[in-house]
Amino acid sequence: MATESSEGEEEGKAIGGNQHLVVDDDLREMAKKAAWSVSSCKTGNGVQFLRDDNLDTYWQSDGAQPHLVNIQFQKKVKLQLVVLYVDFKLDESYTPSKISIRAGDGFHNLKEIKTVELVKPIGWVYVSLSGADPREAFLNTFMLQIAVLSNHLNGRDTHVRQIKVYGPRPNPIPHQPFQFTSREFITYSCVR
Amino acid sequence: METLLIDCVQSSLRHFMLRNAIFLCERLCADFPSELNSQLLAICYLHNNQAYCAYHILKGTQMAQSRYLFAISCVQMDLLTEAEAALCPTEPNAEALLLYHPISEFLKWYTDRRKSAVDHFKRALSMDPLLWAAYEELCVLGAAEEANGVFSEAAALCIWQQLLNPGSNTPNLQITNEDHVVVLNKTLGSEEMSPRQLKSMQGNIFRDTPGNHVAVFSGGPSSQPSSGGSSNISLYGTPSPMPAQLYGVAPPPLCRNVQPNLNILGGESSPKSKINTTLQGSRRKLLDEGKLRKKFCLSSAYFGLSQVSGRLFSDSEPRRSTRLAGEAANTNSNSLQVGTNGSGHSSTRYFGGLSSSSKLISAAIRSGTFCKGQPSASESFDEGRRSESFDDSRLDNTATTSSSASLFADDGSLERERTGQQMGGVLAHGSRVSSGILELLDLLRTLGEGYRLSCMYRCQDALDIYMKLSHKQYNTGWVLSQVGKAYFEMVDYLEADQAFTLARQASPYSFEGMDIYSTVLFHLKEEMKLSYLAQELISTDRLAPQSWCAMGNCYSLQKDHETALKNFQRAVQLNSKFAYAHTLCGHEHVALEDFENGIKSYQSALRINPRHYNSWYGLGMIYLRQEKFEFAEHHFRRAFQINPCSSVIMCYLGTALHALKKSEEALNMMDKAIIADKKNPLPMYQKANILVSLEKFDEALKVLEALKEYAPQESSVYALMGKIYKQWNIYEKAMLHFGLALDLKPSATDVATIKLAIEKLHVPDEMVDNL
Repeated sequence: MATESSEGEEEGKAIGGNQHLVVDDDLREMAKKAAWSVSSCKTGNGVQFLRDDNLDTYWQSDGAQPHLVNIQFQKKVKLQLVVLYVDFKLDESYTPSKISIRAGDGFHNLKEIKTVELVKPIGWVYVSLSGADPREAFLNTFMLQIAVLSNHLNGRDTHVRQIKVYGPRPNPIPHQPFQFTSREFITYSCVR
Repeated sequence: METLLIDCVQSSLRHFMLRNAIFLCERLCADFPSELNSQLLAICYLHNNQAYCAYHILKGTQMAQSRYLFAISCVQMDLLTEAEAALCPTEPNAEALLLYHPISEFLKWYTDRRKSAVDHFKRALSMDPLLWAAYEELCVLGAAEEANGVFSEAAALCIWQQLLNPGSNTPNLQITNEDHVVVLNKTLGSEEMSPRQLKSMQGNIFRDTPGNHVAVFSGGPSSQPSSGGSSNISLYGTPSPMPAQLYGVAPPPLCRNVQPNLNILGGESSPKSKINTTLQGSRRKLLDEGKLRKKFCLSSAYFGLSQVSGRLFSDSEPRRSTRLAGEAANTNSNSLQVGTNGSGHSSTRYFGGLSSSSKLISAAIRSGTFCKGQPSASESFDEGRRSESFDDSRLDNTATTSSSASLFADDGSLERERTGQQMGGVLAHGSRVSSGILELLDLLRTLGEGYRLSCMYRCQDALDIYMKLSHKQYNTGWVLSQVGKAYFEMVDYLEADQAFTLARQASPYSFEGMDIYSTVLFHLKEEMKLSYLAQELISTDRLAPQSWCAMGNCYSLQKDHETALKNFQRAVQLNSKFAYAHTLCGHEHVALEDFENGIKSYQSALRINPRHYNSWYGLGMIYLRQEKFEFAEHHFRRAFQINPCSSVIMCYLGTALHALKKSEEALNMMDKAIIADKKNPLPMYQKANILVSLEKFDEALKVLEALKEYAPQESSVYALMGKIYKQWNIYEKAMLHFGLALDLKPSATDVATIKLAIEKLHVPDEMVDNL
């Protein structure tokens, strides 16, 4: 089960950080084939360190706020969860404190969907993208933008160590209205 | 000096001192360049896994044997057209034809010359009905006749005649012997000594024994071994890419495997050893070699036997040859020192072949382990098993030889008792041999029929046939794996699991069917067992594709498709002719939504084995996803044609038909699927789906109600029912069912869909409230 601290839908809710990354089984990482870009970076701390599965390496921005991480997909995808790894102990004034998540078709029509405020986070921070409505369980979008609006202790630049984006798994059996849950059905549902 | 050098080379070969052999042989060829010596050098190189050297030496040679060795090196180097050209029967005699067959088996995969391959296999079988490998390949090609026809009385007669071929006059025999010996030589790729030995022995032979006997032995076994040789090559041919990989096998695992094999095989082979001892002894006497040699020869024999587990091609060959040697010995039970020279001579051939077959075993000769009691034939059989999917034939041969081993145990001892007796003994043993032949044919018939049926996916029939086997034979790794595979094809995973567990107990080092076993565990979602299996297989042999398939299945079960894909790709790297690894790669690509590569993988699998229905199914699934429904239907139909018993395929074929708007046919197909397998709930569900889309809600509901009995925990059933009630605006029932569906914890997408449906349900209520 996704372990999340209290997650509100209003802006400005504070979230702590989790030591372990635990995600629902029916979610999968969506951004492997996406195009990642950042608004600025310091040499030696580029965008690749956001995706290298290494918590010791980080991306460091090198410009004016807000610092942006853009994730562009090749087609419209359903997204449910964004997870960031930040560490106040190590990064102090580089740790983001206010993050805004925007989505849209491209740079021209991004719309903010969520803002979160972090208070001295150490570990994985989960940001759910679903709305309250069952209709809004997933965010359907071409592009996601994670904006760091401000840092702790009013730092200018920011460190983010890892970002992961999750969405639902597709139905393994095509043209089915519902996915199967019981073992009997799943056993007979495919030939391997 | 030439003779001496030749002798040295051959003894070095027997003792696996390959570098010594090569060195001496090179000296020999330098001083006495002749084609026979070149052949010997090529043999040394082939033993030392230097096929390219053998290739260059033998290129352009004309002697039948040289061409044969050349063909072997070509196959090893993957130069199939050259191999075929070399074996092209310029003289249409039996041996040459037989030699052609194994190559044709290999060629069938590549040049699509299925018909000619089938033809050759059939001819090979008619010439030598005990050539299991040919029958097996025919089964895999889907062109096998009934086992009863192949392994019949006529076949028995044929073998018997071959064994007791009445000899003609001596001079002809001499020549025939030479020819046969030459054939033997080339077939077994063994000692070059034989013509010389024969020459030296001929004096003795014809002095002391009626030439007939010699004729018998040479005539009989010679034709047998050539077929043995061809079976040899066929076995060799199949896993030809593998030998390359084999050479990289680390000695420790191999030794580990070999040792238990030897321990147990030692016992099994001891009866043979008795025979061999006598035969060997006679030869040794002539050649003035010590008892030590004999032991080494035997050890090489055992290594050869244990190599059944290895992927060396000569496995079946030594088995057959030892058996045939036994047979030959029996036929000439008088075991005259000289009389048996003929057979001993031929049997030495076999042992030479054996020693050549054990080339991969390091010189850690375990002569001490041979003196064990006689274990059950099945046990030895199992321990000998550790082969990959292509090695079925070897195992079969082991099966056959183990059954005959017990037979020959008696014969061996009898033989020794009858030292010095004459024709009377021959007759008695003749009848023994014929009963042996009949027993063997009986066994092969059962196994062959079972294998054929399982290749045609008539799994229940195959299972029935396997049940007819004797207890000992049934409890062998190979048979149990086949049983497991049959259950797997029938989608009865629990039974398959049981069968495979027994198979693993019977022969824990075998790789036969372990990839299927890992898939069974994958279907059963047994993570623990699967990871344990994978770990075991990898620690046994890191270079077997099955281990990596099992590992990949493990990761796939945990939804880590990328790692699973990596593992399957490793399996493909290890053996690019392993169709199932390609299919599994395809499955993983599809799971990662990489359809292009998925299609490529499935097509590679199909290129290797066009009867691999899993790949047809996989392609159908991809096209279904991509909404290319005609393609999907075509592929599902092909899969269905290959395996008409699988209810899953029928189900998908029905889905594809429905997508093509051929709903009538679709419903028929679903009904067929429901009948085919009562335990499969899916066709009913799909039928309900189709009926819903056809707006036949009543029937759909009926089906779903019945389905509820079968699978009460399936949320999609309730969700669908809820949908139907919603359609009818029966809100309470719809709510009830949606609620039930939600309770059963569907996936997140479905939760969203269901909740949405519930909301929509309530809209009219709200409107009523608002009013």
